[in-house]
Amino acid sequence: MKKCKFANLIDDYLFDRLDETQKEKFEEHYFNCPQCFEKMEQTDEMIAVIKADGSEIFRDVYAPQKTKRSKLEPVLAFLTPRQWAMAAASAALILVVAIGIIPNLKTTSPEFFINDDLVRGSSITLISPVINNLSQVPSEFRWQSLGDNAEYKLFIYQQEELLWSTSTKDNFVILSEKTKSLLAPAKKYSWQVKAFSPEGTLIAVSSQVQFNYIATK
Amino acid sequence: MKKSDKGLDLDAIVAKYRPVVSFRVKKSIGTKTPDWEDVVNEIMINVVEKLKKGEFRGDSSIGTFIYTITSRRIIDFIRKKSKVLKHAPEPNPYLSPQEHVENRERARWIADSIEKLKPKYKEVLYLYYYQELSREEVAKKLNISPRRVSERVNYAQKLLRRVMKE
Repeated sequence: MKKCKFANLIDDYLFDRLDETQKEKFEEHYFNCPQCFEKMEQTDEMIAVIKADGSEIFRDVYAPQKTKRSKLEPVLAFLTPRQWAMAAASAALILVVAIGIIPNLKTTSPEFFINDDLVRGSSITLISPVINNLSQVPSEFRWQSLGDNAEYKLFIYQQEELLWSTSTKDNFVILSEKTKSLLAPAKKYSWQVKAFSPEGTLIAVSSQVQFNYIATK
Repeated sequence: MKKSDKGLDLDAIVAKYRPVVSFRVKKSIGTKTPDWEDVVNEIMINVVEKLKKGEFRGDSSIGTFIYTITSRRIIDFIRKKSKVLKHAPEPNPYLSPQEHVENRERARWIADSIEKLKPKYKEVLYLYYYQELSREEVAKKLNISPRRVSERVNYAQKLLRRVMKE
């Protein structure tokens, strides 16, 4: 059967997607073309069935799958639907357990790994000081701002012991002379910044970065 | 066998065009209006009368002749209806002339045939006919060309038509 050029309009006609002129043209056409009319009746019946029973017919395609289904088929056939349901249920259970328990194992905020020149896992970028052997006591500590709403807490440690800390809404802290006097030359210190939301929840943690300075006197 | 003076076979014409007129009427006014069958009857009577009177002169095809009568009658009907209702009825999302699938057994059989199609065809039918996405949207969603979408729709239809003709 030779395909009529009007046959392409059947779907659009049935779904009312044609403009008035096209619609009239097509209607006149199917009054004259038994092939198109027959095809349209069949398409209409098919759509009516799809619309009525679609949720049943397409229950396996319902969740749109991005992966190519044809390739999935042999994998899907590996287990019966019931077995798949069981597998999915167990997977979900494991996931719930994992999500529920794993974070509780680490009660401390994200762990950061530092050695002399390698810093990992930061979510606040520290700007300065980030080098060793400074020529004098660093007076300013600066990091990258996370936006207006964050409140920061700066911690200075001496051999893993908290030496001093302060809070600020700025993305820097200028040490007072008194604080500077806590820092002795040639000793190893480290600093870290934690960011909190206005409600006080921890939102980001920087890495812990070492610094020291050499006495110049 | 009724014949008009032009020798047209009126019975054959009515038999041939009644489904076409019905389809057109149902599509325009919907089957929720119980009058649709009356409208079809009126049109068919009108067609026969006009043919008997020799109003069909053959300057267009008989199909176009009947199409014109049908369109006029539908416009009339809608005009009268909207006068009563003050405004025309709202368009339905998908109002198939089929409307309700009359024969459940046949519908079930067609549904089964669709269900048995390969996933790549089902997927296209689902998006294109069930969700009423355009060819382009389906193409984008499945990451294939619009041409491919048409090919798959056409192929699936071809398979189904074979079933539906039985």
